[in-house]
Parts: sequence; C-alpha cells; structure tokens
Amino acid sequence: MVIETVISREETIVVGIGEMRVAKFPTPMIACIGLGSCIAVCAYDRTTKIGGVVHVVLPSSNGKETDRTPKYADVAVPLLLSEISRLGGYMSRTVIKIAGGAQMSLAAGQNDAFKTGERNVAGVMEALGKMNMSVSSADTGGHKGRTVHMYLDTGRITVRTVGGESREI
Amino acid sequence: MPEISTNENKLNGSQMAGIVGGGVAKAVSGLSQMAGVEIHVTSVEYKKVRVKEVPYLFGGPEALIVGVYLGITGTTNGHMVVAYQPSVAFELISMLLGQTPKSMEELSEMERSVLGEIGNVMGSFFLNHLSDSMGVSLQPSPPAVMVDMAGAILDVALSNILEHSEYTYVIDTLFGTANQQIAGTFLVVPDATSNIT
Repeated sequence: MVIETVISREETIVVGIGEMRVAKFPTPMIACIGLGSCIAVCAYDRTTKIGGVVHVVLPSSNGKETDRTPKYADVAVPLLLSEISRLGGYMSRTVIKIAGGAQMSLAAGQNDAFKTGERNVAGVMEALGKMNMSVSSADTGGHKGRTVHMYLDTGRITVRTVGGESREI
Repeated sequence: MPEISTNENKLNGSQMAGIVGGGVAKAVSGLSQMAGVEIHVTSVEYKKVRVKEVPYLFGGPEALIVGVYLGITGTTNGHMVVAYQPSVAFELISMLLGQTPKSMEELSEMERSVLGEIGNVMGSFFLNHLSDSMGVSLQPSPPAVMVDMAGAILDVALSNILEHSEYTYVIDTLFGTANQQIAGTFLVVPDATSNIT
C-alpha cells in the first residue's frame, strides 16, 4: 500500500536522506517522506515565500571537517538558514518548525539504535539555539514514521503517519 | 561490507557474495524447518547501493513494509533488517499460523510474534553461517517488529551507515515453496566503529 499524495510527484520537490532543498513559491511544495528517527527541519519566510527543508539524520558531525553535509543537525541548521538568506529571505521573519525524531521500536532490551530520534531532536534544538532561532511548532517523538510537506504558498506544514490523517503543525 | 577483516585476511567482493549466498541459504533452511514445509532459495543478489536509494528497493520511502530489526553483537556490532512487502508478510503468517491476518496495520500479538520469530530464525541462521565462514562471533538481539513507512523503518540502520559511508550492501532474495514465491530483502550493516568495514 502506498499512501496517496495530494499533488503529483512531478510538482513536489522531495528531500532525500541527509539532503537539503530550498525553493521559492510558485514551486508548490517540498516533501520529506518516511521519516523515522530522522528530522525534517522546516524554515519559511512568509514575505518572500522562500522555504527550505532539511532531512537531518544524525545529531552531530563531531567537528568532522571533511564531512560538512546537511545530514548532521549542527551542519544542517546553519546551512539551511544561510541558504534562505542567500535567496533573499530574512532571519527575523523566518519561522522554524520541526517534525520527526521517532523511536521506531518499543521492544525491551534493544540497543541504543532506537534512541537516535531523541538525540536528533536535542541536536536540532541545540543548533537552532546557537543561531538564536526558536521552534514555533514541533511534532517529534512517538513511535511512528512521518511524512512532512511544506506548502510554499503559505508556509503551511503538514505531517502524516501511516493510517493517520494529515495534520497541520 | 565487501572487505571484512577476518582473523586471517580481508575478503574480496566475490568471496563475500559467496558467504552471503550461503548465509541466505541457511536462513531459508531455518525458515523451512520452522514452517515444516520445503522452502528453497530461487535467487540471491548481493549489491552495493547508495544509502539514499535503499528505501526505493522497498517500494519507496513511504511504502508500507514489515521490517524485523535485529541488533548484531559479538566480534563486531551492527544492524540487520529483514524486510517484506505486506502481502509477503501476510503469506508468511498464514503459512505458519494457518490463518491470514485481518489488517497489516493492526497485527495481533500472535501475528507480530510470528514475524519476529521468522526474523529471529532467519537472522540467527544467517549470522551463524557468517560467523563460521569468517571465524568471527556474531549474535542477534531479540527481534523488533515494525510495520511502518519503509523510510522510517530503515532509518534505524541507515542513520548508522551514513555516519561513515554513502554506500551500503543489501541482499535481495527470492525464496519459496513449490507454489509460492516469497521476496525478502536483507540489510546487514556493521557499526561505524566496528572492525568490519
């Protein structure tokens, strides 16, 4: 079973694992599909209608200079904000929303592999704090995978789980 | 994991593919014993793929799949995910329980535990073969059964790989009884910190 998408894939920019996409309206939307422990960090400037989504996989690059890719929260957050600025957005108007960071299994005695979600949320919050940015809305934790859509006309963010309705955050 | 350091030397890709093929055959023979029916391996494909592409091997990041996760501990630590399409998981359950589940999203405790046990048996047989062939010790953790979007289930293992590599190895396999084909995909991932890289 594949969950139906509202708008055909051709019109949607899909952010892959550890990738970042920034776009401007009239591009209709940016999607981050099937997030488990990963986090979609969404940033949107309402005035210029510039928005970006980054698919964060891990909390920290641990200062690895050779691997400055947006898969790490500490690299992703500044990169996303600077890309929005570069395209003409303003930090003071940029609204940040995050979703993801689930713990995918409840099984007892599992190793730390299932705690990545928690650590990712902490990593994203820390990186945002360093940039003096706060989260206006979040849907994190839990035990279900999520699909996140950013609508570039208004900056509306929706989150959907398997068998669940799409809801705005 | 093409270059696994054993006690003696490093294995090349084709040696590794041979060991993996043997491991899958063992895993399927474990399932066969468990189900009490003859199941044989039709094909095993061991391939290197970009981590970003892995969810597409499972029908795309949003496709509903059934994943059985096993942590690996021993000489090296790692992760193993055995994944099936929901229809395949249905067939496995009905083969073992003699009844078809009502809904994939609301599996009963018994159905869930059957899937966990299948993953456990296949994982243990697979890891035993790897251990014996390479002179290492690898044990599976208790299984965790997940029914969710492929991307979300795979995050557990993929986030770990992405820490040290953009590529990983997956094992696509087809097995079945005389009148039923079953497609399963194994993802076996050593930890970034392990000596098997």
